[in-house]
Amino acid sequence: MAAKKTIAIIGVSGDMGSALAKALVNSNYRLLLMSRDKSKVRKLSAYLKRKTPTAEVAVVECEKEACWEADIILLAVPYRVEKEVAEKIREVTTQKVVIDVSNPLNESYDHLITAPDTSAAEELQKALPSSKVVKAFNTIFATDFTQRIKEGNQIKTFIAGDDQEALQTVSEMATAMGLKPVLCGSLSAGRKLEQMILQLIELKTEENYNNIVGRNMYRHAPITFKSVIR
Amino acid sequence: MFELLHKKINAIISINEDELNYCKTLFLPKKLRKRQYLLQEGDVCKYQAFVEKGMLRSYHIDEKGTEHILQFASEGWWMADLSSYITGETSLFNIEALEDSQLLLLSKISWDQLMQRIPKFEHYFRIIIQNHLIATQKRVIQSHTETSEEMYLKFIQTYPECIQRIPQHMIASYLGISRETLSRLRKHLVSHR
Repeated sequence: MAAKKTIAIIGVSGDMGSALAKALVNSNYRLLLMSRDKSKVRKLSAYLKRKTPTAEVAVVECEKEACWEADIILLAVPYRVEKEVAEKIREVTTQKVVIDVSNPLNESYDHLITAPDTSAAEELQKALPSSKVVKAFNTIFATDFTQRIKEGNQIKTFIAGDDQEALQTVSEMATAMGLKPVLCGSLSAGRKLEQMILQLIELKTEENYNNIVGRNMYRHAPITFKSVIR
Repeated sequence: MFELLHKKINAIISINEDELNYCKTLFLPKKLRKRQYLLQEGDVCKYQAFVEKGMLRSYHIDEKGTEHILQFASEGWWMADLSSYITGETSLFNIEALEDSQLLLLSKISWDQLMQRIPKFEHYFRIIIQNHLIATQKRVIQSHTETSEEMYLKFIQTYPECIQRIPQHMIASYLGISRETLSRLRKHLVSHR
């Protein structure tokens, strides 16, 4: 029997963070939930335990503690605060797999704010030089995790990274969530994956423009686009 | 986070600040809560663990379901199933935290990198493994030749700081005696002090 791996989800009260937590709660991982929004994270924890009574879920107060205890870190925070979070967790994430799900979008969601010769994933790797950064899950809209998977669709998730073992770890995680992992090469392929979201947003926006009017779109990058695809 | 390891390393070899900083990039810091596993039977032992804080035990469960404890490791000790770690074969051991613990884990790849980049670590780890081998051999011999009382006294010598931290039934399991025998032994020793 394999020892259970622990995943810390940082920024878990956001749309993407909570979608990932819900998708992972039925699999054989122990989850540590961390968010600055204490009441939201407590509610989410209670919900997950109700939904899956056997799940091992714990709320952890700070980023560093959560990452220290974890084997795998899922960084589900907006791109603009990634560097700040990286600073806090650097010391306790050496040699660990850190998954970057962010999309570095501008406020109108039609442009990337990273320079053309880099990506959010590569910037995170620079900020965490001794960690194994992997880009994954950024092309999936938060609602797809719950709705489309429930409907029996197998969604692909594109995974990019430089460390073979880390890619394997994330592929296993994706499979456990009911996703189909597709390896796309080294971490610099993160640029392609982050560009991809622009196309996807454009498509969704055309389909469903009216739904987004009046919603707060600025807090959690592409993740908020769950509202777009409703 | 690295104070104790640094101290222990410097007791055998001497490393400068650059070497320490390089060292820090290779270790994976990990917290385990009490009763969590670092390794379970059937897994490959991917890491050697240095205990910064807390305590680990390694044990094997036989066909009858009885636990046999191989080793305890408290602050400053290393713990691993070396055979599985080196060969990549699955382990017959479990490694579990007896207390909330803080570990520094070293993968095989990082271990090799460390010794390649800073060759004096070969010497450091030779001493660690040498001491471990001596202890293991003594333990095997001791289990054939010594009385329970002698073994218990040696145990107290080997793990002086842990005696209050390890439950009695685990000490009995480590010594290969029953809980009742251990309890009689302790009473006997107290009354003869």
